[in-house]
Amino acid sequence: MPNKPPEPCSLAVTGIGVACGFGHGKPALWDGLLSAPNLFGFLGRPGRQPFAGQKRFIGIEMPDPPSVLAPRVERTVGLSGRVAVSVLNEAWQEADLDSFAPERIGLIVGGSNFSSRESALASDDDMARPGFISPRHGHEFLDFDLSGICTASFPIRGFSQTVNAASASGSAATIQAMEAVRSGRVDVCIALGGMQDVSALDLHRLRALGAMGSERYADTPNEACRPMSRDHDGFIFGEASAALVIERANSARSHYGILSGSAQIVDGNRGPQPDSAGQQRAARMALAEAGLCGEDIDYLNGHATGTPLGDETELESYRQLGLHGAWTNTTKSILGHGLSAAGSIELAALLLQMRHGILHPSRNLSPPLDDTLRWVGDTPQPHQIQKALKLSFGFGGINTALVIEAPSQGAPQS
Amino acid sequence: MDSHAISELLIKMIRRTVPELADHAIGRNDAMADLGVDSIERSEIIIATLETIGLEVPMVQLHGPRNIGELADRIHAKQTP
Repeated sequence: MPNKPPEPCSLAVTGIGVACGFGHGKPALWDGLLSAPNLFGFLGRPGRQPFAGQKRFIGIEMPDPPSVLAPRVERTVGLSGRVAVSVLNEAWQEADLDSFAPERIGLIVGGSNFSSRESALASDDDMARPGFISPRHGHEFLDFDLSGICTASFPIRGFSQTVNAASASGSAATIQAMEAVRSGRVDVCIALGGMQDVSALDLHRLRALGAMGSERYADTPNEACRPMSRDHDGFIFGEASAALVIERANSARSHYGILSGSAQIVDGNRGPQPDSAGQQRAARMALAEAGLCGEDIDYLNGHATGTPLGDETELESYRQLGLHGAWTNTTKSILGHGLSAAGSIELAALLLQMRHGILHPSRNLSPPLDDTLRWVGDTPQPHQIQKALKLSFGFGGINTALVIEAPSQGAPQS
Repeated sequence: MDSHAISELLIKMIRRTVPELADHAIGRNDAMADLGVDSIERSEIIIATLETIGLEVPMVQLHGPRNIGELADRIHAKQTP
């Protein structure tokens, strides 16, 4: 007997937890997005120093996360794990997930190699003293350890899994979480974009690939990250993580917005090559699911990393999709590129703008690559978002799109 | 290092590994399992102790002791073959 098709249902985001260069929690993110001070500097964490004779890396590092775990557990958990439980805790409290049966709560973590930097440091240590390797390193190297930390610390007993879609991992986690709720597998699902704690070697490799800037602004970190600007020369890393609670829309529960369309497709490229046709196909699929076309969108949050080919390709997609009328800004110009977490922290930024009725400024945009679009420049723009499009792309030909609509009339706002 | 000193070292590593036991009285007659130490923490404690005294012993040879005192005796015996 064929499976019964899932009933159409409206999905809402009812809780958000965030971590970024501005600190931990939504107030820090929102204040930071509005004032948009420079956060970019030279990366300083242990394990991120360039190899001899190489230029320093530019990016954003976040303050230490608040302590959520018992000391006994916290001792064993690395930075990406401590950040994950911090954002999970914030989203959990806001959505009051203690009121749900643990067996009806799911968790999807987006990303891979979350602890690359600390793992590299531990590897050096283990190789130097093989007789005394910590038994914990035997499970900490698995990507699933982040899920294990989260589900051991919060009453999540429905299911948990890790999904990887390169820089679209956060969006892929959101899409999988939507599916898990829509299918009835769980009543509520948390999509968590895990913090990509990159190592020096990761950064050297991304630089070798030509994806990461900045040759041009090697000595002026505040100017290095300039998505969609004519002077861009690559993406700039920024530590981030975010958790979003997704459930069926219920007029009695406060929510940030409605997720009314989603798509994740591959375009057949293996490496970093972008593909406008694939981007447009994903966007059109998500828009069709929401019953919309590009002209209906009044706010666009793009992938917009700042790589020359990536930005040009994406702009071509905007033009073909008819997004000229939509306001748009560049969240990565303020927060940097969170890699695995980018799609999650940027969806959080989109939903905060929707709630507050203000669009955050863009840094280092002038002169824009395409001045026919409706850019938010260097000052915030009052605008009540009604229908928004979020795009996230990843190496390996991944294109994702999400359509987000303002909360239904009469829904409680907070 | 004598067995008493080894047991003191084990207790120090127990407190470091499980900070919740920092103010808990721990002696040679206590078993780590009774203190709530889990199996991975037990391995961490023993490895940290062995590394401090510069002794390499396969973990499998340290199974069996019923309390901290017996474990210290076993490590002491490995130290002087």
